Amino acid sequence: MAANNYFGFTHGGTQYGAAAAAAAGAAAYQATPAAGYAAVGHTPAAAATYAAQRATTAYEAAAAYQPAAATSYAATASSAPTYDYSYTRAQTYDNAAKTAAFYPQPTSTSFSAAADPAFQAKSSTTYTAGYQNAAARPAGQASKTYNYPAAGAAQSYTYPNQAAAAATANKNYSGYDAALYNAATLYVQQQAHTAPKGAGTWKASRPGVGATIGQKPKLKQPPKPQQLHYCDVCKISCAGPQTYREHLEGQKHKKKESAQKQTAGTTPNAPRGGNSLRCELCDVTCTGSDAYAAHIRGAKHQKVVKLHTKLGKPIPSTEPVVVPGKSTTTTAKTGAATTTAVTKTTEVTKVVATPKINFVGGTKLTTTTPTATAAAAGTAVKEEPKEAAAAAAPAAAAAAAPAVARDDTVAVAAAALGEKEVEPVGQEYIEEIKNEEGKVVSFNCKLCECRFNDPNAKEMHMKGRRHRLQYKKKVNPELIVEVKPSLRQRKLQEEKLRRQQMREEMWRRREESAMDDEERIYWEERRRYEEEMEYFEWCRRGAGRGMPPFGPMGPMGPRFGPIPPMLRRPDSADDRHVMAKHSEIYPKDEELNAIQKIVSNSEKALKMVSDDIAEADAPKKDDGTASESKDEDGKELPRTLKGVMRVGVLAKGLLLQGDADVQLVVLCAEKPTRTLLERVANLMPKHLATVTPDEKYALKLSVEQASLIITNQTEPQINVTVTLTSPLMRDGAADEPTASKDPPDVLDKQKCLEALAALRHAKWFQARASGVQSCVIVIRIMRELCQRVPTWTPLNTWALELLVERVVASAGFPLAPGDALRRVLEAIASGLLLPGTPGLIDPCEKEPVDTLSGLTAQEREDITASAQHALRLMAFRQVHKILGMDALPPPKFNRGKFNRKRRRDNSCSGENGDSEGGDGKKDKKEDESEAAKADAK
Amino acid sequence: MRGGVRGRGGPRMGRGGYKMKTFVPRLPFDIYLCEPAFQRAKPAPDETPLQQALLKRNTDLSPSPTEQTAVLNLVTKIATVLDTLIVTPGSFDACQIEEHRQVGSYKKGTMRTNHNVADVVVILKTLPTREAVEALGNQVTEELRQQEPADVLVMAMLPNDRGFEISNSEATVRVLVTTVHQNLRKLDPELHLDQKILQSHLAAIRHSRWFEENAHHSSIKVLIRLLRDLKNRFEGFEPLSPWMLDLLAHYAVMNNPSRQAMSVHQAYRRCLQLLAAGLFLPGSAGIADPCEGGNIRVHTAMTLEQQDQVCLTAQTLLRALSHGGYKQVIGLEGNASIATDMTVWEGIVVSPLEKAYEKPPERKEGEPGDELADDDDMDMADN
Repeated sequence: MAANNYFGFTHGGTQYGAAAAAAAGAAAYQATPAAGYAAVGHTPAAAATYAAQRATTAYEAAAAYQPAAATSYAATASSAPTYDYSYTRAQTYDNAAKTAAFYPQPTSTSFSAAADPAFQAKSSTTYTAGYQNAAARPAGQASKTYNYPAAGAAQSYTYPNQAAAAATANKNYSGYDAALYNAATLYVQQQAHTAPKGAGTWKASRPGVGATIGQKPKLKQPPKPQQLHYCDVCKISCAGPQTYREHLEGQKHKKKESAQKQTAGTTPNAPRGGNSLRCELCDVTCTGSDAYAAHIRGAKHQKVVKLHTKLGKPIPSTEPVVVPGKSTTTTAKTGAATTTAVTKTTEVTKVVATPKINFVGGTKLTTTTPTATAAAAGTAVKEEPKEAAAAAAPAAAAAAAPAVARDDTVAVAAAALGEKEVEPVGQEYIEEIKNEEGKVVSFNCKLCECRFNDPNAKEMHMKGRRHRLQYKKKVNPELIVEVKPSLRQRKLQEEKLRRQQMREEMWRRREESAMDDEERIYWEERRRYEEEMEYFEWCRRGAGRGMPPFGPMGPMGPRFGPIPPMLRRPDSADDRHVMAKHSEIYPKDEELNAIQKIVSNSEKALKMVSDDIAEADAPKKDDGTASESKDEDGKELPRTLKGVMRVGVLAKGLLLQGDADVQLVVLCAEKPTRTLLERVANLMPKHLATVTPDEKYALKLSVEQASLIITNQTEPQINVTVTLTSPLMRDGAADEPTASKDPPDVLDKQKCLEALAALRHAKWFQARASGVQSCVIVIRIMRELCQRVPTWTPLNTWALELLVERVVASAGFPLAPGDALRRVLEAIASGLLLPGTPGLIDPCEKEPVDTLSGLTAQEREDITASAQHALRLMAFRQVHKILGMDALPPPKFNRGKFNRKRRRDNSCSGENGDSEGGDGKKDKKEDESEAAKADAK
Repeated sequence: MRGGVRGRGGPRMGRGGYKMKTFVPRLPFDIYLCEPAFQRAKPAPDETPLQQALLKRNTDLSPSPTEQTAVLNLVTKIATVLDTLIVTPGSFDACQIEEHRQVGSYKKGTMRTNHNVADVVVILKTLPTREAVEALGNQVTEELRQQEPADVLVMAMLPNDRGFEISNSEATVRVLVTTVHQNLRKLDPELHLDQKILQSHLAAIRHSRWFEENAHHSSIKVLIRLLRDLKNRFEGFEPLSPWMLDLLAHYAVMNNPSRQAMSVHQAYRRCLQLLAAGLFLPGSAGIADPCEGGNIRVHTAMTLEQQDQVCLTAQTLLRALSHGGYKQVIGLEGNASIATDMTVWEGIVVSPLEKAYEKPPERKEGEPGDELADDDDMDMADN
């Protein structure tokens, strides 16, 4: 059938071609068997001026169809092509020859379809054919007549799709119905109605019928001379034919025309990416709903609307037409929110893009009855039949329109979804700039640093991508700014995200590991601390056993390996100062030698005295015990003078430069008496002379001191005080009643007890203090301090020793000299001497005795204040002020390095010579403490 | 990283290597940690008067129930408003709130009377611009007004852009603003609040959390209140931050061999002893901040001069306290002049101390740096 139709067209076409240009249309139409074509013949004449009337007629034609075709907008939609078509025709009369060749095609088809009632009644295929032809028509039209709007082109494209869809359906109507609205039933009705009139009801056919009927009325009504020159391409009107022609020849028009021609074949103005909205009326494509809204508000659009209203032309609804980009990207872009259904909708929208057109003043809608249809058809006389047929064709589309229309909102929603109807953000960052009168003249976006004057622009700016990005960057990093649609960019974005994630992951891991590190250190320290505590606890419990809690290495000795590292490198600034001071106050060799000499001589002499006395007393004493004692001791005879011992600074190795007084204690078997002392004093010179014939010693007896003082005659002058005492003195003190048989001339008890205490102190010191790291050094330093600073003088040596030992030892680990000194100052600063504190218990006394009891409250206060100041001086690197010396220059930079290098070499090579060097160094480093120990002995 | 592990000298030495850090921060002498070494040589003095005085002072300092209620009410209201803003931001889009937390003395229960200020930290999801903070402040105030139109509310921005405060006639709530961690890196000093301040606000949250877990003992709370009072009265203690005081109080109460809380008067004295012994002096291990990684010693937040000043004040006060001047120290009598003027207690002259800190000549300062650099070099050579 279709083939037949086509054949018919071609035939008509040839006929047409033979006709004269102006009359061609009419001739061709008339040549065709359809009666309606006669009417068409008129149209060429009216062509230029038919506008308004045609609008109505077309409308009526559509309206006639309408009651059957249901919804009004379906109808309105349908009429758009009609218009376009007719206008096109009007414009293209010049190229009538060509156009005409194509016009007949649709017309004749539809006509043939319409003319044959049987055809209509019988077969659906005919209809299909009719549609196809109708569909084909706009296509041809579009291709041949340039001025067909882009939208029309779109339609022309989409039509065949529809038609094809219809064709594939077994029943034409039902196929249509299924695809579109409820047209099927309407069709049946229409057929029933229009049976006498032929195919009238059904769009394609009806115009033909209408035309046939309306031939006469057409003759009655000459076209209204409406002198409005309208350019459909440019959507403008021209004042007169002259300007109109000029316009048509103008550059602008040509440009648009050619642009349209180019785009006609493809999706109109396909936006670069993503959806865009199109104003059908102005043929303007907008990239976003905001831009679209702005356009609708805009002056240009308003002008066109006005013009169209004036012309009575249909004005497309302001509903935007979505012009999708690639549908794939659309779905991708809208993401999960856009369901497939929506995508489909957009597709449908695309399909029937054009038909959504409103009729202006479509009041006649109500009057449409079958007769009205006829009347309408009658009015359509002015129209070319093919136009009517064309009207039918879009009407077919109109049937599709409802479906679209129904989905219209969805489409809008889809459009919205396409760009995710964004909330404006960051209003508070937009400053209003006011003029002197306080009127807002412009806006300044602080985020984007841009200005604009229009409040609309402000709104749009706030929704804009750039602004949102800035907002995201500067205000809310979680704001979602849609990704640029392009696939490449998306990939880039994904890549970036991935990398960022990796980076973050890495950071996290690194932080974790850092945390681990810290945690480890923390626990390590914690563990150490707890061990210390445990140790103290143990000490406290162990105190009952009376054993010295700290070995010579101190409590932490074993943990830190054989050589406490502190000893090796005493090189903090404090340490260096302390050590420098220490070497300054340490006695010189000649002093030490002199002391050594006189002390050893005295000792030897005392031994001889002891021997003498023992011999003299031998008859008194039991020989056996004497010899026994001799055997077991070997050195000192357990005679009346049992032995001589070094005490005090001498014993403790605390001698300082300038110290000239050293003490020896002679232990007696019985309570020492004045007689005994004198006896010793008498014997001494002789024995001293035998020991050192070339030295002269002066001897002085001091009964009240319970001692004799030996002084050398050479420089440096040394005084050796030899005190006689006996352990019995202490016991006697303990149990006074039993000691009633004291000899009458017994020496001063207090002095003797002091001597005994000194003996114990010396022992204690050797056992305890000399083993504590840095302790001896600090005591020497403190002794010097006590001598130098009057405030500190009241602090006696024993109290000082005890204090320092306790404080340094209680640190729990070896301290560098500087640290040890600081700790002592800290202890005093924290009020160790002040009232209310536990005091310093004397370990060498049976009863708890506070070693510090000799200090008055004011002395304690002053010492504390001094220590407090000293502590802060030390903390702020002024230790030299405490020590009474000049600040040392900072050490040479590479000294430490040098040490390290040598050491490292040692460890690496392990060669004999090198390691010897290393050992030598270690020995040197330990010299100090070694020497101190040696001195102490 | 390097700086943070200074303290590892100990463990490193333990491994027996040659590694020895020159600078090993060391805790100062603390008699309570080495009690075994100092057995009591004389009977402990009667400390009941001190104890009584401290408790009395604490009672004086504690807020009255009315005050507490007033603060609680305001805090609750603001919390509700903030919660609403979190759940339903509605039209309010100036910022988004991640969460809000109560911090500071109110949260810790260490509030003092006549200081009815509660602190709330608001963590924003968005970046904290000044505008956003102000908008938030206005919004909160607005909603509060709507709830209770009768209430007279004053909203004021805090200095240094820390946030804003809302006060009614009886109480004040300071809302400190900060942002989530990941935002800190995105801050632009020109647009947003100062990063240091934001971090300090985040730290405040950690602090209150730590406090809840570790320092809930009421001795600590009482002690903190007393110490804050001490700080307020004596100018020399001005540099001590509340967080330092918290840690110091916790340390003084809890850090003893038995790990049992010490009584308030002991701990009070101990605080002064610790400070006097230079706990917060350079070279001391001080107190490591439990809420920061990297073994940061809290007192290093003070300048050297301030450290000197704090130590000096504590030393003078300690002597005054020891000589029977507890009433003046605690604040029941007298004034702050005891820290700066010569005083006589029971015939004993207690004289104030002089500053030890002096601006170092430029070369001296480099010294420790040299040493450290030296050490680091070695480390690298070794590793």
